[in-house]
Amino acid sequence: MYPCDNLGLSCYNQLTMEGLINGKAGYFGVRIVELILTLFVVSFFTFAAFSIIPGDTARVVLGPNATEAQVENYRKQTGLDKPVAERYGDWIRGAVTGDLGESVSFRKPVSELISSRLPVTLGMSAIALIMVIVISYPAAMLSSRRPGHALDHILSVFGHVIFAIPPFVLSLLMIVLFANLFGFISIGRYAAPSEDFAQFLSCMLLPSLCIALPKIAMTFKFLRASMIEERASGYVKTAKSHGLSDVRIMVRHVLPNSSVSTITVISLVLSDILGGSLIVEQVFNLPGLGRLLLRAISVRDFPLLSGMVLYLAVITVVLYFIADIAAAMIDPRQRLSERARP
Amino acid sequence: MTASKTYRSPSRAYYVTGAVLLGIVILAFILSLTGIAPSPNATSAAEKLQGPSAAHLMGTDNMGRDVFARCLAASKYTLLISVTGVLIAFTAGVITGLLAGYFGGFCDRIIMLFSNSIMCFPGILLALVAVAVFGPSLFNVVIALGVVFAPTFARVARTGTIGLLSQEYIMHAKVLKVRPSRIMAVHIFPNLMPQLLPATVIGLANMTLFESGMSYLGLGVQPPDASYGKMLADAQSYMMHYPWMIIFPSLMLVCYILGLYFLSEGIRISLGGESR
Amino acid sequence: MKNILEVRGLSLSFPSKRSSAVKVLDDVSFNIRDGEIIGLIGNSGSGKSMTALSVADLLPETASVEGGQILFDGEDITKMKPKDRRLLLGDKIGMIFQDPMTALDPLQTIGRNLDEVLQIRNIPVRERKDRIIEMLKTVGFIDPEGVYKRYPHQISGGQRQRVLIAGAALLHPRLLIADEPTSSLDSVTTMSILKLLKSLREKLNMTILFISHDLYVVRNFCDRVMVMKDGKIVATDNTEEMLTGTNNAFIAEMLAKSRLDPSELLLDMPSVDYSGSPILNVKDLVAGYSSGILSRKARTKTLKEISFDVYPNEIIGVIGSSGCGKTTLAKTICGLMKPTDGEIRMKEGMGLGVVFQDPGSCLNPSHNVRWHLREPLIASGSKLSPEEQDKVIRRVLEDVGLEQKHLGRYPSQLSGGQRQRVAIAMCLVLEPSLIIADEPFSSLDAVLAASILKLIAKINRERKTAIILISHNMRIVRAMCKRVIVMSKGRIVEEGLTGEVMKNPGSDVTRELIEAEKMLGGARQSSTGA
Repeated sequence: MYPCDNLGLSCYNQLTMEGLINGKAGYFGVRIVELILTLFVVSFFTFAAFSIIPGDTARVVLGPNATEAQVENYRKQTGLDKPVAERYGDWIRGAVTGDLGESVSFRKPVSELISSRLPVTLGMSAIALIMVIVISYPAAMLSSRRPGHALDHILSVFGHVIFAIPPFVLSLLMIVLFANLFGFISIGRYAAPSEDFAQFLSCMLLPSLCIALPKIAMTFKFLRASMIEERASGYVKTAKSHGLSDVRIMVRHVLPNSSVSTITVISLVLSDILGGSLIVEQVFNLPGLGRLLLRAISVRDFPLLSGMVLYLAVITVVLYFIADIAAAMIDPRQRLSERARP
Repeated sequence: MTASKTYRSPSRAYYVTGAVLLGIVILAFILSLTGIAPSPNATSAAEKLQGPSAAHLMGTDNMGRDVFARCLAASKYTLLISVTGVLIAFTAGVITGLLAGYFGGFCDRIIMLFSNSIMCFPGILLALVAVAVFGPSLFNVVIALGVVFAPTFARVARTGTIGLLSQEYIMHAKVLKVRPSRIMAVHIFPNLMPQLLPATVIGLANMTLFESGMSYLGLGVQPPDASYGKMLADAQSYMMHYPWMIIFPSLMLVCYILGLYFLSEGIRISLGGESR
Repeated sequence: MKNILEVRGLSLSFPSKRSSAVKVLDDVSFNIRDGEIIGLIGNSGSGKSMTALSVADLLPETASVEGGQILFDGEDITKMKPKDRRLLLGDKIGMIFQDPMTALDPLQTIGRNLDEVLQIRNIPVRERKDRIIEMLKTVGFIDPEGVYKRYPHQISGGQRQRVLIAGAALLHPRLLIADEPTSSLDSVTTMSILKLLKSLREKLNMTILFISHDLYVVRNFCDRVMVMKDGKIVATDNTEEMLTGTNNAFIAEMLAKSRLDPSELLLDMPSVDYSGSPILNVKDLVAGYSSGILSRKARTKTLKEISFDVYPNEIIGVIGSSGCGKTTLAKTICGLMKPTDGEIRMKEGMGLGVVFQDPGSCLNPSHNVRWHLREPLIASGSKLSPEEQDKVIRRVLEDVGLEQKHLGRYPSQLSGGQRQRVAIAMCLVLEPSLIIADEPFSSLDAVLAASILKLIAKINRERKTAIILISHNMRIVRAMCKRVIVMSKGRIVEEGLTGEVMKNPGSDVTRELIEAEKMLGGARQSSTGA
């Protein structure tokens, strides 16, 4: 998404009850209530997408060739003959206790299928996130020190080009490049983290890099603009007039201040990374959620699909929540709504 | 592009580069309409996996289809999907964002609850699920992408509107009892353009990213129609030995997206987003 | 007396690739004597801030110093090692800036904001806190421990400026450079900050270089004044001599243009019939902002039981410090905010116009002046033909002192003063019988502000329009308004004829406002004004 859209407008701000309760404890309390509310809405959306919108879910799942008896049987089996509200209640109760029903095509519990695939997707996303932070911050600091100079331009143009390559295209190009340059490719030899952690990491590295690179470019671009803006602000002038060194001003003032808005961007990046990993693992042939998702889509396995969608959405919501809390930890204006007294 | 050149006139350099890159894709689109290249879907077992030559400028693929012709044909879908998708997202997003920002209160809460909930799903996931539920047709893909991108525009419009509401000319218009619809049309919408214009261009680029990813997974443009994502998916098993199958579609895709990014950067700078 | 700072032949320019370099400072030389308060005045763009920034070595990176010496205590600081020169700031030279709202790091407490000054100079932790608390007490905080723990957004603008002064004075520097420290503050706060600076000079034996565009602020505060124009210092003299304005053409012109003479303005005003029926009647008005979900109940009351009348033809002043509710009052009368209680009654068939504070946002940047002046006619459903509309527009334009050529211009092509004139013209198009002017002059410099005020007086005189003039400055209210309402904390604390209120102020708020007026040059104004 466009990095500047979300400046200081985190996901939950619209649901806030700011001003209702002052102080730190109150702030976190309100945030947690909002988190639960959002999870509720998101779960309802997921449920609606698979159980209400398609109309006759059983018919859709079984396809046009199934007999009426089979369809009826399926309805009974999965509880589709019950009223909508009751079905939602059952589903959400199951979801909270970790029971997301049974997959139609695999004949296995959905939660078991998801948890077996989760390490790949989450591992890849985590490595990608670390790359984003570790690379974009130093690059932005270098670039914003002297905006308009050669280094800044090289970094910026390079960032634009990287930004424009879709992750899966980047993956394909990387594979060709690595195969031709070094004569080896580390794909296909996937090892579960419990078996061989080093091998697991090494086969995650290239895919993670492919997901991370465009996001590094995006975070860099946003962070650079934000740092340039902060460097021109009043408190930097004050700090200089106090005799503080450039490095100290950068580390103690500019970095935290530009991080407040960047955290929101990074949380959006995370959602994109999760989405991107679904595609990229396909390129590298890794057994993650993406392949499970494709399989579920192709056979219209609705219980599995809804379980996965809910799972990913919950992860995203929780990540947004953590980002919000992190921003509030840094920025007192967000957690203390007490106004100035004239 | 040298450093000193971009320093002197940054927005112009971005405009020119962006226009050239976009020009390539638009030219491809125009050529695909003229029928200058062979049929994109005609297979030929005798001519499969040939390298670039006079007869096949970009070589042929594993089914003997002309890659050049397919690249031209694919531009049609890329442009069509991104432009209509953004049109849908822009219209829906800007209208709801304006209403939410202008009226605030309950209306704002409901609209933002809805749009935030959409944003809680990773975008590509939402698009894939929509296609899974409604079936993979071009129409469904466009609608799904439109819905996925609408909240972005809604947010830009809402944030911008709230910012503009404290501007004195809008307070003045309210004192003069100008109708809300007119205030939105003459006072708010034109002044949202500095934010909406780059967001629209970026939206086109992001939509193309999504569309190509979906097509790559086989859930976007449906075969035998050519799309860059699908071409790359087909090329994957052959890319080690027949790199033209992967290089040309990738280049076209990157041309379009990069062109759009440069264009948006140019717009942003010339509208005063950032001086350098 | 010894000179603490000597600047000799300082020249500064902004190199530009397209054209020849822009010269900002041209051979600037001056001396500052030990222990004095010296004012540096000039219009915006005259180079006064650049002079200060050169001394402090805080120039923007694009600026290039073309020559000159800066001697601090006899030593040329331009030849110092970068690190020594940097540490000179804070140690020997303190500095405060114009906008206190952004001048503190919002993420750190006041204590930590100040602590750094001492930390980088390797002062032990315990001593640091004691010294900061001590200094916060010195700058006038009653509860320094409390302030130490607070965040910048939790204190007001005036308090932030005090914190910044504390920061600048923490190491007892010899010279304090104050770059327009009061231009974003109201008159009462300005007075208190000036008093504080004066007392600090005595206590810490500091020299102060005070930069301002406002003659009235400098007037009772500085010992000597330097005047800058186009990057040159054009005059230096004792304040007394300088501001009598006889021996300096520039100063004389500035004084003449920014003068608001009550005897002149008030005499020309139309007579008001206070026994007739009022044009606007406000009764027991209560209004406030909702805060959060429990909106109805949790309303903070910004206005409490406001009652007053406005009579035809009069200019009534509403005065109070920032945060007293005067802008909320204006918004409520205009209908931009709904009153929680009470009533506002306008006389039947009377139009209402309003002009706000900010020339930056008073016009829609997407449309030109002609559009702006036609819009009120269209919005009100006027039945005039396009030719008649044009006639109205042209007359109004002339009334506010603009020309035909301005009609096609866009807001970005107009100056702040011109924009404010267009905003006033927009009111006049519909010929209202009451105009609310909410400090339309507050962000303009003294000369422009005076011209806008004279324009308002002229409208009142020629069109017999009643005007509610909102201000924080007693000098302006005294010159413009026959009647005044004093507001504080959302209430009306005093109301009456301006002369009588001035003579026998009935509340502390009024006394403070009057004192601020005297401090900011009002008293001398009347003696030299004639």
